[in-house]
Amino acid sequence: MKRLLLATALLSMMLIFSTCGKDDEGGGDMAELVLNFTANYGNNPLVMFERTYDYEADMDFKMQLFQFYLSDVRLLRQNNGATEEVPALDVDLLSFANIYNDADAAKGINTETVSIPAGTYTGLRFGWGVSPQLNATIPPDYPLGHPLSENYWEDAKSYIFFKVEGNADLEPNGDFSDKLTFHVGGDNNYRELTFEKTFTVEKNGKLTIPLSVDLKKILIATDGEYVDFRQVKQSHSNTSPAAVFMAENAPSAIQLR
Amino acid sequence: MKGKTRTAIVFLAAAVVACTPEGAEPALPQSDYALEEPEHFQRLALPEDNPLAIAGVELGRRLFYDPILSADSSLSCSSCHLQERAFTDGRAIAVGFAQRAGQRNSPTLANSAYLYKGLFWDGRAHTLEEQALQPVETPHELGHSWAAAERALRRHPLYPALFTEAFGITDTSELSRELAARAIAQFERTLISANARYDKVFLGKAKFTPSEKRGRDIFFDTTEDLPSGECSHCHTPPLFTDESYVNNGLDRADELEDFTDTGRGDATHQRFDNGRFRVPTLRNIALTAPYMHDGRFNTLEEVIEHYNSGGHYSENVDPKIKKLHLSERDKKDLLNFLLTLTDSTFVHNAAYANPFLQ
Repeated sequence: MKRLLLATALLSMMLIFSTCGKDDEGGGDMAELVLNFTANYGNNPLVMFERTYDYEADMDFKMQLFQFYLSDVRLLRQNNGATEEVPALDVDLLSFANIYNDADAAKGINTETVSIPAGTYTGLRFGWGVSPQLNATIPPDYPLGHPLSENYWEDAKSYIFFKVEGNADLEPNGDFSDKLTFHVGGDNNYRELTFEKTFTVEKNGKLTIPLSVDLKKILIATDGEYVDFRQVKQSHSNTSPAAVFMAENAPSAIQLR
Repeated sequence: MKGKTRTAIVFLAAAVVACTPEGAEPALPQSDYALEEPEHFQRLALPEDNPLAIAGVELGRRLFYDPILSADSSLSCSSCHLQERAFTDGRAIAVGFAQRAGQRNSPTLANSAYLYKGLFWDGRAHTLEEQALQPVETPHELGHSWAAAERALRRHPLYPALFTEAFGITDTSELSRELAARAIAQFERTLISANARYDKVFLGKAKFTPSEKRGRDIFFDTTEDLPSGECSHCHTPPLFTDESYVNNGLDRADELEDFTDTGRGDATHQRFDNGRFRVPTLRNIALTAPYMHDGRFNTLEEVIEHYNSGGHYSENVDPKIKKLHLSERDKKDLLNFLLTLTDSTFVHNAAYANPFLQ
């Protein structure tokens, strides 16, 4: 029964997202939206293997995987003085696993391109991670290839919202033999972000919103507290201090470019 | 697969046949094959250009078992993919035409319909149709040529009619390697394995023994009271593979160019993919020895010991490969859990068996 309710809720939500576009296709002027994310570590582009990142307390590390989910992407617009949300994209998974050089890092990773009504918008809102409603679903609810057909953590009953994997040199002696695997999920680690900026897109035009995510700000909080790799090298629990810490830092790590 | 199943039937317009211009590819047949998709699996995304049809699946099964596709009519796809071994062959390295040794271990075909991130150990084929074209002309597999195989199929007393039934060809000259590959792919898509003891427990129809349950919790890193097996990161249920490409630390490689078999790097020409291989499903793992892309491990105990050891260094060894510190009891329980992934109905399913013996 619970499964049926979830599936119904999911279907309803998908209908809301799809219906929005289709109504406008019938009578309004449509345009396209894509979010482009670049990833960096401080002032340096985030690339797998090829770069060594200076970390706190003489710890260096190299990356092997960085990926994250976005969900409930909405554009904001004004309607009679009230802020109205225009659903744009239900969920996407952005992986930087194949970013091996600065040039590709500069190009970034695009979300799926979706249809939106042409017009002027006053902001962007989305969730970092998988929204609680979608996080209550499971991979068998989706076709293979859908972002939510994978990265599910059965025992935690959650998708893994983001993964940070790499190798650290903790001695330091140039030997990157310490394995880092931080996987973070769970409704408690979902964060909603809002960016206020005016975007205008003409009929049949394409609006690309450039954003960046700074891994350094996920690992090191604004007060200087950081994930100490000498103490913790992995997080495979939604409630582990490292997981919660990184999720709390995420909103400050994401910016409009 | 009794009980909760999904039935995927797609009806395509047969009227398209009438509109096919002369010389164009034969029209798509009506899809009339009811594929039972397990409800606890992700939904299949079946290709629109090769819908499942009863005639196509049956033709594919026949081609799969028929040595007509090999150079000396001694081998078929089934020579390296035996149903009783969950469609593997029990050899470390596959042996093909003229006893030529291949390069890698024969992978299982169980649930290959669900593979959408590449086939073969290196992922060089994108679809089952693309994959099915390759073994015929590989010297250490069927060692034949498609041109010759096509001639043999066209001359055969039965195949032209079977291709007509499956794909609506109107002339024997239309019988092609592409249609043969489509038929084989259709048959392979029906090879679904979802009725292991694990599935029965998952669906609430059985219970694990205490040892299996403990092994399961180690496999899934369920509790901090037990060591983490780190298995389910890549061997993710329900398919028990996430279809990623991973260097699991089998060999030390001081440089990424040092791997004897560069694996995924062969397909992508990306040096950081060297030594990475597609994560295989663990379903029916007890039936598919020996293990790894080169069949180096004869037993599951050896496999578990490899992972317990933390593997060997190379720059791109996956960070999840690390010393596990499993006790003898942990290893035994983990093994017992792996044994619950055996699906005996799959290896005895008459629909997958050799039609020439039925």
